[in-house]
Amino acid sequence: MITQRFLSNGFSPRIQLTLLLLVAVAILVPVLNLALPADNPFHVPTYLVALFGKYLCYALLALALDLVWGYCGILSLGHGAFFSLGGYAMGMYLMRQIGSRGVYANPILPDFMVFLNYRELPWFWLGFDHFWFAALMVMAVPGLLAFVFGWFAFRSRVTGVYLSIITQAMTYALLLAFFRNDMGFGGNNGLTDFKDIVGFPVQAQTTRATLFALSALALALGVVVTAAIVGSKYGKLMIAVRDAEPRTRFLGWRPENVKLFAFTVSAVMAGIAGALYVPQVGIINPGEFAPANSIEVVVWTAVGGRGTIIGPIIGALLVNGAKSWFTGALPELWLFALGGLFIFVTLFLPKGILGLYDQWTGHRRRIRKQEPAPLPGAEVQPAE
Amino acid sequence: MQRRVQHCRQSRSLAVLPLLLAFVIAFLAPAHADEAQVRSIITKFGDAKGFPQIEAVVQELGATGDPVVARSLNALSDGVLHVRKADKQIFILEERGGLRVLDPLSGEAVADAGVARDYTKIRVNNGLRRTIRGVLGSLTLSASDPNARMRAADTLFQTPDPDAIETLDGAIAGESVPAVKMRLQQARAAAVLQSDLPDAQKEEAIALLGGMGDRAALSLLNGFAANAQGDLKSAAEGAADRINTTLAAWDMAQNVWFGLSLGSVLLLAAIGLAITFGVMGVINMAHGEMVMLGAYTTFAVQEAIRAGAPGLFDWSLLIAAPTAFLVAGAVGLAMERGIIRFLYGRPLETLLATWGVSLILQQAVRTIFGPNNREVGNPSWMSGSFELGQLAITWNRLWIVVFALAVFAVLLFVFNRTSWGLHMRAVTQNRRMAASMGIRTPWVDAFTFALGSGIAGIAGVALSQIGNVSPNLGQSYIIDSFMVVVFGGVGNLWGTLVGAMSLGVLNKFLEPYAGAVLGKILVLVLIILFIQKRPRGLFALKGRAVEA
Amino acid sequence: MSKSGTILYLDGVSVAFDGFKAINNLSLVLDQGEMRAIIGPNGAGKTTMMDIITGKTRPNSGQVFFNGDVDLTKHDEADIATMGIGRKFQKPTVFESHTVEDNLVLALAGERSILSALFARRSSGESVRIDEILQTVRLTHRRDDLAADLSHGQKQWLEIGMLLAQDPKLLLVDEPVAGMTDAETEETARLLKDIARDHSVIVVEHDMHFVRELGVKVTCLHEGSVLSEGSLDHVSADPRVVEVYLGR
Repeated sequence: MITQRFLSNGFSPRIQLTLLLLVAVAILVPVLNLALPADNPFHVPTYLVALFGKYLCYALLALALDLVWGYCGILSLGHGAFFSLGGYAMGMYLMRQIGSRGVYANPILPDFMVFLNYRELPWFWLGFDHFWFAALMVMAVPGLLAFVFGWFAFRSRVTGVYLSIITQAMTYALLLAFFRNDMGFGGNNGLTDFKDIVGFPVQAQTTRATLFALSALALALGVVVTAAIVGSKYGKLMIAVRDAEPRTRFLGWRPENVKLFAFTVSAVMAGIAGALYVPQVGIINPGEFAPANSIEVVVWTAVGGRGTIIGPIIGALLVNGAKSWFTGALPELWLFALGGLFIFVTLFLPKGILGLYDQWTGHRRRIRKQEPAPLPGAEVQPAE
Repeated sequence: MQRRVQHCRQSRSLAVLPLLLAFVIAFLAPAHADEAQVRSIITKFGDAKGFPQIEAVVQELGATGDPVVARSLNALSDGVLHVRKADKQIFILEERGGLRVLDPLSGEAVADAGVARDYTKIRVNNGLRRTIRGVLGSLTLSASDPNARMRAADTLFQTPDPDAIETLDGAIAGESVPAVKMRLQQARAAAVLQSDLPDAQKEEAIALLGGMGDRAALSLLNGFAANAQGDLKSAAEGAADRINTTLAAWDMAQNVWFGLSLGSVLLLAAIGLAITFGVMGVINMAHGEMVMLGAYTTFAVQEAIRAGAPGLFDWSLLIAAPTAFLVAGAVGLAMERGIIRFLYGRPLETLLATWGVSLILQQAVRTIFGPNNREVGNPSWMSGSFELGQLAITWNRLWIVVFALAVFAVLLFVFNRTSWGLHMRAVTQNRRMAASMGIRTPWVDAFTFALGSGIAGIAGVALSQIGNVSPNLGQSYIIDSFMVVVFGGVGNLWGTLVGAMSLGVLNKFLEPYAGAVLGKILVLVLIILFIQKRPRGLFALKGRAVEA
Repeated sequence: MSKSGTILYLDGVSVAFDGFKAINNLSLVLDQGEMRAIIGPNGAGKTTMMDIITGKTRPNSGQVFFNGDVDLTKHDEADIATMGIGRKFQKPTVFESHTVEDNLVLALAGERSILSALFARRSSGESVRIDEILQTVRLTHRRDDLAADLSHGQKQWLEIGMLLAQDPKLLLVDEPVAGMTDAETEETARLLKDIARDHSVIVVEHDMHFVRELGVKVTCLHEGSVLSEGSLDHVSADPRVVEVYLGR
């Protein structure tokens, strides 16, 4: 009944279409990959399945970011951290599944621990041999970090660029930490050489196809959850906090709690995206925590159109598709293109591709201006 | 030839340096004994059987007091002194690029060398080597060059020997250079501790060593205290404690210095940001790339100097600084006019657009200069180091501290004492009012931003002296710079100074306990917590205006 | 002076920013159900006083009591708002990307927890209340328009409507008629008088014509303390008020 109330506002046709598409893709692509012979023109090659599976994870990450940035005005430059923590939690499970098939054939300790002379498994690795535990941690660890971080930050009314900068510092600190060997997460090399996931070989075609389908379904679920949140009274409150935080406070709401909820939910979504990402790319290393990665997520969201639900999905797919093409065809030009995209989108496409499309079709929806553009320097701090 | 000998020695023996210098002195010092007499003593090595006999010959050579014996003693210590089987004559053998046989006194090569089989090596052990060091040390105590005497005293201090006390007494009485005399007394004190002289003398020695306050004296005292009893033991322990206190103070000073040095690097990197972010409210994520441009400008200037006027190399940084200011300033100006001015009042968008600029600048530099690290040379006045008490201070670090403070002072002057600074502050505080007073606000914006960028370029010149110059250079400074500005308090240059210095010092004090990386993480976490406590930094402005 | 029977009780309140005394030993008492107009030159401390009452700024010294017994210095903005103090800002502040109706929905009194907001459904009572308020602030015809599209005066009314939806005991209204036409000003005065029938109200305003229209007791602030208090005629005849504020 609660679910029903939660979803009571119903979804717009655009979101229903997106959900339909995602479910169709989740079914069709694996079928076209597994059932058709390689020479059939409709056959989807396995490498593409893995590639698109990766994009879907990115799309979920972008959607998570959009929930806090687009709807709640929190520009997190550290969402890569939640993604990576989810990825590490999954990676730890996959490491423990290797068992005695590692190079050192230690039934308990992963190879890198044997190499670094660990005597026994560190306490925080306990339990990761169970899938259910790892799955729980995939959500709990990023969620907890976001909760604690947000609890401090929002309560102290750290807002705007200050918040952006400390989220960036957060992921940077984690980057440095995970590079350390004695953290017990494989240091520089991270976690890799996975063998099995819940008993199926990670490399197998069927496993890959299944992971793809799961990623598509996870994204669909992400869309449902986000749409439900955004459509509720709480969703209106998020937008209210984004646009006029003091007003919500003087109405008796607590903006810090509004933000904290969104931030935590978003971190959990990012963690799930990371957990689906890791078995598909076969590795997780500290490089994923790099601040640049987190900022790239912001550009996906901005390109697609923030403050919308399918915008970030479109953005993530397009930008990553372009990235794959560029890095293959014109590797030197990719950073120019990405940099140019950042500038172009902020200057000329503040509402992203989706906003442009809506404008172009004359389908003037009730999308308000993202942020009023005050006079130059309106938010400048007074000098000493 | 000299160099070849030097080269081959260095690879063989650890204690070469003082010996080698003694050896050089040997040529300069006047002969004390007649050469034939020395030669006859050296010949005794031919008949010496076993280490005690060899040692006796060494002592005898030392007794001549003639520096000319140094060459043969060094050769013996290095295991290259040989006896010719045929006639029991002594020679030094060198086997680099064919056999060379040298005369033990003059060091000149002998004709008809023969083959290595014709010679027997004179054996040497560590005990013997110590004796040789002692002998050589006391030998050079009478050298005419005070530096050589100082080195001899150093050697004697490091290998205290009760037998040398008498020699030392003589040397102390005859010594005229106070520093050398002091060192000789210290060497004597070290020797006294090892001797069986009366306790009173040992106490004096302890007091003397305790006054030195360095690690060498500490280990001597600790070694002595371990075996001593009664009053002497407690005296030695007391002296060791005093040294420990001194050392702790020096360690503290060392940490503070390292911290200030790191702090001035942070200050340089952050101060441009303090202008663009702190004063104008613009988040410039390409700030690090301005620093990088400055570093590459330095590289380019040096390349041009190498190609065109190598004599100017020592001036390269002085040429690079204004060039870097102009290059980075011009890029900043272009950025402000082309992008940022459309985004005023939208800090998050500015952040994203400038991040895009940073990617483009990085890739541009990568395309032009290549992806690898580039070597930027240090001019002579920035290399090397000097000692201040027990601090080793490198010139490049010192200059960077001076430079950072100078840049800070200039900026402070520009802000508080020039009409441009006044305009800048006016625009920041009340744009409309400033505009209606006839200030051209767009140009003030543009040039303020260019100033901030130019300062970042200058920072790049300095930072090229202490780290790698690569396209990623800027990325490694940007987060730290933001931390400094945010920690220090936005809109306040003094806050930036205090922020940079305190973060630098904090970092260096955490490092010994936590290690470099963990120390840095701790600092980041502390800043994150700090911002929660004081969201607007150390030197925040208070009042209604802030949140209006 | 007794606190009982007062809705708002300020005694000896001072607050300083970096040495500048924005409020200096201010004492002010508002009885239950009273409407009071506050006038005073710029920098007299009017907005800072509101900041103190609503918990945005903590006083350095002095007592601030609400409803006779609630010490407001011990609570934050959200607490104070739920206790029943509503505030309208000087610059109209509404949720521009929401419709007029949604603005009121977010302001409606009720549970303020995140979970309740997530699963909230509008009750019929709430719908009725929203209709009433829309009627009161004359915005029924703009119910489904975005707040961003309202005129300046309409935004002011919407904000007052949001205050009403909050169902407060005390309303603090900062310059409600700034930038309004004469007709709108009169309309607003009527609206506020309506509201004052079952609420306590403090109105800060520069517009003397409007203050006269309200016809209530007036307090003139100057340099952070009360300069003069009484009927408008009494206050405007006070030579000190003429000196600092009204001009000769």
